Amino acid sequence: MALSSPPAGAAAKKVPLVVYSAQGYDTAMVKAFQKATGIPTKLDTNSTGPLLTQIEASKNNPHWGLLWVDGATAFASLDQQGLLVKGFEPNVKWDALGKANLPKDKSFVPTGVTLMAAVVYNKSVVTSPPTSWQQLLQPQWKGAVGMNTPSQSGPTYPFIAGLMNALGGVTKGKQYFTSLKSNGLVINPTNGPTLQALTSGQIKLALVQSSAGIGAEHTDPTLTVKYLDPVTSLSSNIGIDAKATKTEIAEAKRFAEFVLSKKGQAVMKTGDPHGDSLYYPVVEGVQPRPTLPSLSSTKVQHIDPYTWGARESTVNTWFENTIAK
Amino acid sequence: MTIADAVPDAGAAPGTPRAGGETGPGTRRRGPGRALVLDRWRAWTGSSRLGRVLRPTLWGLVALFILAPCACFLVISVSPRLFDQGPQWFTLSYLRTIFTGATAVSVVNSLWVSGGAAAIGLAIGLPVAWLAGRTTLPGRRVVGLGMWLVLIVPSWLPAVGWERLVVKDGVLDRVGLGSVALQHAVMGPFGVVLLLGIRCVPFTYLTVTASLAGLGQELEDAARVHGASRMAALRLVLPILAPAIWSALAIGFAETVSDFGVADTLAYQSHFPLATYQLYQAIGNFPPSFPGAAAIGVILVASVAVPLVLQARALRGRAYAVLSGRTRQAVRRQLSPLGTAVAAVGVGGFFLVAIGAPTVGAVTGSLLADLGASARITGANYAAFLHQAGASGPFVRSLAYGAVTASVTVVGGFLAARMLSRQRTRATHLLDFLLLAAVALPGVVFAAGYIFAYNLPFFSTLGINLYQTTTLLVIGYTASSLPTNARVLVGPVSQVQPSLHDAARAHGAGALRAFGRGVLPAISRPLLMAWLYTFCGIFLELPISQLLYSPGSPPLSVSIQNNLSTYHYGLGMAQSVIAVCIALLVVSIALLAYRLLTPAGWRRIGATIRG
Repeated sequence: MALSSPPAGAAAKKVPLVVYSAQGYDTAMVKAFQKATGIPTKLDTNSTGPLLTQIEASKNNPHWGLLWVDGATAFASLDQQGLLVKGFEPNVKWDALGKANLPKDKSFVPTGVTLMAAVVYNKSVVTSPPTSWQQLLQPQWKGAVGMNTPSQSGPTYPFIAGLMNALGGVTKGKQYFTSLKSNGLVINPTNGPTLQALTSGQIKLALVQSSAGIGAEHTDPTLTVKYLDPVTSLSSNIGIDAKATKTEIAEAKRFAEFVLSKKGQAVMKTGDPHGDSLYYPVVEGVQPRPTLPSLSSTKVQHIDPYTWGARESTVNTWFENTIAK
Repeated sequence: MTIADAVPDAGAAPGTPRAGGETGPGTRRRGPGRALVLDRWRAWTGSSRLGRVLRPTLWGLVALFILAPCACFLVISVSPRLFDQGPQWFTLSYLRTIFTGATAVSVVNSLWVSGGAAAIGLAIGLPVAWLAGRTTLPGRRVVGLGMWLVLIVPSWLPAVGWERLVVKDGVLDRVGLGSVALQHAVMGPFGVVLLLGIRCVPFTYLTVTASLAGLGQELEDAARVHGASRMAALRLVLPILAPAIWSALAIGFAETVSDFGVADTLAYQSHFPLATYQLYQAIGNFPPSFPGAAAIGVILVASVAVPLVLQARALRGRAYAVLSGRTRQAVRRQLSPLGTAVAAVGVGGFFLVAIGAPTVGAVTGSLLADLGASARITGANYAAFLHQAGASGPFVRSLAYGAVTASVTVVGGFLAARMLSRQRTRATHLLDFLLLAAVALPGVVFAAGYIFAYNLPFFSTLGINLYQTTTLLVIGYTASSLPTNARVLVGPVSQVQPSLHDAARAHGAGALRAFGRGVLPAISRPLLMAWLYTFCGIFLELPISQLLYSPGSPPLSVSIQNNLSTYHYGLGMAQSVIAVCIALLVVSIALLAYRLLTPAGWRRIGATIRG
């Protein structure tokens, strides 16, 4: 892929590409992309929530070129509102994770995968960790399990949706979380406070995004990460604004291609080494960072973002008013 | 129509100097006559021509940059279709939701918590201001700085600190002082009200201190000469501080009802929902429910009518202009040994709670290794911050944004305060309500309202693209700061007698020179306080920054939040601590510069001498 040699005449038509991103390596990526292509790029780096709020509030007159955040359900919702460019697929060789996370209408592009939720615990405190989700309901773990709230932690809804999906639907999922609450589930706003509750001894098991858990191992070597079957894949994705100019759409496509190129993947793997860089690649020939556990013996499930995206608001509200209350 | 148009026969011609004695404290009429209104207006503006320009300009700016964005957001609660946020052109369904279920509970909680917090702020702030300003309290010189520290620290930091102290296996548990009763007390309504009440103390302290500065010794002396005891003299003087006290109560209520930092941390963890959390949840959910959030915003705006009505009833028909050229320096009371001990313990205890808890939060968050698993102190987070490429950019940007916003806001806030304190007409009552209502609206409402109002396709077709520019960001900052700023200044500005200006004019000074020589010295300290308050608020402002900042130029708060909300919690906490230190440094430099650079006469106004 000749990313550094744009089509003839393109240089004269360059417009600033506005990138909305919540990725830890986005600053490094934008720099590398500008250097490789010469396309001026403006980065709005923010949490996922404010970025989606901006997009929804400005949908009459959008100013973004591409959106790059974790979770496919939000992209499915944007797609259903007609806000994303459809039918774009970068010319890359997807691996199994990539193929599983590519939407049928190709309205967004997966760039990496993390897992929801990893079980993080202190090896010296927890010598017999749970081996299934059902075991978390046992008295042994009463008051010892903590997780984030989906209203503030973007990756948490895919976890809830994934567990509901694995248990057989929303009703059975609600029963499970209600039982978990009865067993003393501790709810924190985001990964940081949940991990701090773990390290301070308030809880013994933290259910957080895999990259957060593996990153915490670096900060506190007594911590370790375990996946319970099934674990839900959480892809980071790029979606392109359907109302952007043709030039900006073309630039956004080049950005997505650059991210999935060897050069781009190297930036992704090194740009945030104790955070978002701890992902499983979606293109062939790219290996994850060595600290990531192998997925060979883990059952990874992929939920339909269109089905579960439509339920996001009602499930989150139910969780907030019933479980987190 | 201006006041001059309405009252053509009142007062002298524009710019005509008047003798100071005509408007002096001994002869001035107190009635609400139109001639007096005109006289005061002219005294303040220097000429009716200036007034004709200033008033509509101020109203225009308020309408354009405060009313329009707020209205654009709030109207979505009944007409989502207007901004493509739903199918209905008119509906009451979203407003109905605020009277049912979890939203209703959170609204009720917010209202009584805000009232309680404002009352606590007054109960603590008033005596502390008095002790620091008028007595020989030990350490009184650092009380003001301590109040600034309380004000500067984002509200979530003390909330996190309190949680760290009392939770199971928290700091108190580790040192053997933990108790379930204490945990339940702090992690519940009591803790939430107390914490928010402590946040209100600086508002009372600043407004009362500024008003105390304008209150000379003569009133107390007069009371004492006529046989009044110290308590009786106090009862005489306290009502003169009524504008400041009511301003503090109103600001405390409005600031508390719009606070998100505590709602999101201590209140949330305590399963004690507040309305701002529900509002943010409505926006943060996906897809966001802007109509649902707007409905909660409507009730928050309506709620500020309560303190305003109480304020209006309390102040109706009274005048509070006591600061004139004859005001004498107050005498600092010598406290008895027992009084000194009680006062020092009380004030010290307040700061221990108000500053100690956030310090715990900051230390556990930024200085402890391994996410606090052990008690090992490390500077790793600070070292990581210092080695981060481009780490200084957000700091420099926010310093500049804060300075520009504070400078513009103080001018606008002063003009608004002058209108509010000098003229009690329907228009000023409306302005008063609108400004306080704007304080009660969470920042995210302002920010989203700015997107709706200033990102209409209509503007783009005209070639006006303000959204995601630094210009709109600074306008947003200014509009969100102006209401509080004006309210803070109402107390001190209402004390300044027009005779100060008149005297300068009588001696041949032009309008601006008369203001600079006659009025500015008397209000320079409150203006400085208002500037610093705005600067500190903007330096760490988050919701508006997140939604309106220009891509590629993140302000400090966005940079901190990006670290806190992802994997770099310790780094974000270190950044927060450095930011608070920088803000405190700016406050210290500004106060020192005021002390060193202003004429001695400026500093004498409001100063005290030893009795």
